[in-house]
Amino acid sequence: MKNMRKRKMLITVAAVLLLASGGMRAGAQTQVPYDTYNYDYWGNLVYTPAPYVPAGKLSGESLGIGAFSAPQDMFLAGDTLYVADTGNNRIVMLGKDGKLKGIIDSLGAREGEESLKSPKGICVTADGTVYVADSGNKRVVVLDSDGNLLSQVRDPKSDVLPKQFEFVPSKVVVDYAGRVYVIADNMYQGIMCFSEKGEFTGFTGTINVTLSPYEIFWLRFSTKEQRSRQKLYIATEFTGMDIDGDGFIYATNIDNDGRQSVRLLNPKGQDVIGKKDSVPLSGDLQWRLAGDYGGASRIVDVTERGKGIYSILDYTRGRIFTYDAEGNCLYIFGGMGTQAGTFQTPTALEAWDDRILVLDAGRNEILLFQETRYGQLINEATGLRYDGDETQAVERWKEVLKYNSDFELAYSGIGKATLAAGNNREAMHYLRLAMDKEYYSIAYKRFRNEILERFLPVAFTLGLGLIAARAAWRVIRKRRMQKGGGA
Amino acid sequence: MENIYSDKKKAGGAFREKLSYAFYTMLHPGDGFYEIRHRGRGSVGCALGIVAAFAVSFSLNKRYANFIVNPYNTLYVNSVIDLCAILALFLLFCVSNWSITCLMEGEGRMKDIVTAVGYSLLPLVCTLLPATFASYLIAASEEAFYYMLLAVSIMWFLILVLKGIMTVHNFTLGKTLTTLVLTFAAMVILIFLAVLLTTILQQLFLFFKSIYMELIFSV
Repeated sequence: MKNMRKRKMLITVAAVLLLASGGMRAGAQTQVPYDTYNYDYWGNLVYTPAPYVPAGKLSGESLGIGAFSAPQDMFLAGDTLYVADTGNNRIVMLGKDGKLKGIIDSLGAREGEESLKSPKGICVTADGTVYVADSGNKRVVVLDSDGNLLSQVRDPKSDVLPKQFEFVPSKVVVDYAGRVYVIADNMYQGIMCFSEKGEFTGFTGTINVTLSPYEIFWLRFSTKEQRSRQKLYIATEFTGMDIDGDGFIYATNIDNDGRQSVRLLNPKGQDVIGKKDSVPLSGDLQWRLAGDYGGASRIVDVTERGKGIYSILDYTRGRIFTYDAEGNCLYIFGGMGTQAGTFQTPTALEAWDDRILVLDAGRNEILLFQETRYGQLINEATGLRYDGDETQAVERWKEVLKYNSDFELAYSGIGKATLAAGNNREAMHYLRLAMDKEYYSIAYKRFRNEILERFLPVAFTLGLGLIAARAAWRVIRKRRMQKGGGA
Repeated sequence: MENIYSDKKKAGGAFREKLSYAFYTMLHPGDGFYEIRHRGRGSVGCALGIVAAFAVSFSLNKRYANFIVNPYNTLYVNSVIDLCAILALFLLFCVSNWSITCLMEGEGRMKDIVTAVGYSLLPLVCTLLPATFASYLIAASEEAFYYMLLAVSIMWFLILVLKGIMTVHNFTLGKTLTTLVLTFAAMVILIFLAVLLTTILQQLFLFFKSIYMELIFSV
C-alpha cells in the first residue's frame, strides 16, 4: 500500500517535470559566451534570451591571404565586404559566401604614392568608388572599383584650421552626392566636410563642451597658472560613422558620462536622433567606476540597419547595443574574452542581412553573429512599427513576449495597435505594462469618455428625477401641513 | 464649555472623542494645541495611532498609486521598512525637539510634543488614500490635480507642526524656527551617536568573541 503511494507520487513528479521541460521555449536555452540583456523603464538590468548567437569567424588565414594585422574598419557595399587591413596596408574584399573577392594594395599610379600606409577607414559608394582614409600618407584616396587611383583629398587649407594642423584621417564616409566626411585625429571641432572636388568646406556635428556647475565654480576661482595645469576642457572626439541613403550621418563619439554616444546628423549638421528625455543613448546605464571593464561604454562604431534601426559597438565591455528610431533599446549582446564569439579589441561593426559582423583588431578576425528567432521577431516588429504597421507587428510582439515577458517595447506595440483598433480597456492594460504614460493616457481618456457617454445621460435623468420628486414631495407636504393647520 | 470632551464615557466613546478632538485640532490649531498643552485634551496613544495610520497610507500610496504619478518601482516597495522608518523618524524628531526645547525654556513636555506632531500628520492621513484612488481617475496631462492635492496636505501638515510646536512650548514664531533648525542639527548628532555606539558595541563584541575563541582553542 505504502509502496503504491510512493510510486504514484514518483510518477506524478516525473509527469510534472516532463510537462515543465516540454513547456520551455526554444531560443532561451541557447548557450552563448556573453550576457544578453536589456534595461527596463527603471533602468534596471533584465536578462533576455540571446538575440544573436556566435556563427563562426573569418580570418586572413581562412581566406588564404595571411593573417589580418590590427584591422580598423570595414564597410559593406552591395554584396561585397571591404576590410581595411590596417597593419598590412591593404584593403581586402570578401563575398557573401566568405570567399576572397580581391585585394587592393598597390594603387597603380604615380611614383611614391602608389601604396596605402595604415589605411584606417573605408567607404564605398553605390557605383563602386572606394574611399580610403589613408592615415599613414595623411590623405583620403579615391579609387575606382579595380583599385586605380582617381583622386585624393589632402592638406585641407582654411582659416578655421590651426596653422600646424596635420590631416590624419581615421574614418571616412561619402554621401550620395560625393561629398566626403572625415574624422581626423586630434580634430575636436567636428567631422570635416569636403566637397566632391576634395576642397575643405567646414565642419559638421560639432559637439559643444558642457561644464558642470561644479567645474564652472572652480574654474572661476582658479588662477591662470592653475588653469594651465588642469585638464583641458575640450569637446569629445568622434569615433565612427555610417551614412544612410538620404545623406544623414550616424556618428559615434566618446562620452565618459554615458549620456549620448551616438548622433544622427542631418545635412545641416544638426543632431536629429530619436531620443527620450530621461533615457541616455550611450550603451550601458550601469557600470563599475574603475577596474577592468569599468567606466561608461566607449562607443567606437555604428551601423545603420534600415527602418531607423542602428547598432553601436562598445569597446569597453565588447557589447553591441541596438536601438530603434525612437531611441528604445531593442537588445544588447556581446562580451570580452578569449572564447569563440567574444572580443579582444572590437573596432568595427556591420550588419549583413541576418548577420552582425564585428571586426576585432586583437584577434585579427571578423566575428559573425547569427540572428535568432527572438532577434528576428524584434527586428521585423520594429521595422513594421517604423512603417506605421502596428497591427501587423502585433503577432510578432506576442511571440516576442513568449520568449521574454519583460519586454516593455512589445507591450507598447501591442497596446498601440489595440488602441488603434478602438479597444481602449485592453490598450490600457498593455500600455500600463509598457510603462508608456503618454499612450496610456490617450487610451484612458478615450475609455473615460466612453464610460461618461454611456452613463452620463442615465445619471442626469436620475438626478433630475430625484430633484423633481423632492420638489413634488415638498409641495405635497406643504399642502398637507396647510390642510392640517387649517383644520 | 470645556466639559464637552472631558466627560468620562466607555472605552469606545473615549476613542471616538479623542479622534474627534484630533480633527478639531486639525481645523482649529490655535485652540486645539493650547488645550492639548494646558487642559490635557490630547492623547499620546491617539497620536501614535495617527502616525501608524500615516505610515500605512504612505506605503499604500507608494505601492498602489497609478504608475503615471508614481515615482517608485512598486516591485521594491517594502511596507515594513516604510513603517519602521517613519516611526523611527517621528521618534527621532520628537526626542531631538524635546532635548532642544528643554534647553531653550520650552514649556512642552515630551508627551505634548508627541501629541502635537502626531496630530499634525492627520491632514496627510486624510489625503493620501483618496489621492491614491484619484490617481486612477486622471491622465498624464491632469497629474497637476494629484500633485496639488498632495501639496496642499503637506503645506497643511507643515503649518500644523509649526503652530503645534509654537503653542506647546509657548514660543514666538522666530524662536520656533530657530528651535526647528536646531532640532534638525540634533537629529543629525543623534544619528551620528547611534552609528558610533553600534560600531563600538560591535568592536566590543568582537573583542569578547576573540577572547572566547582564544580560550576555546588554547584549552
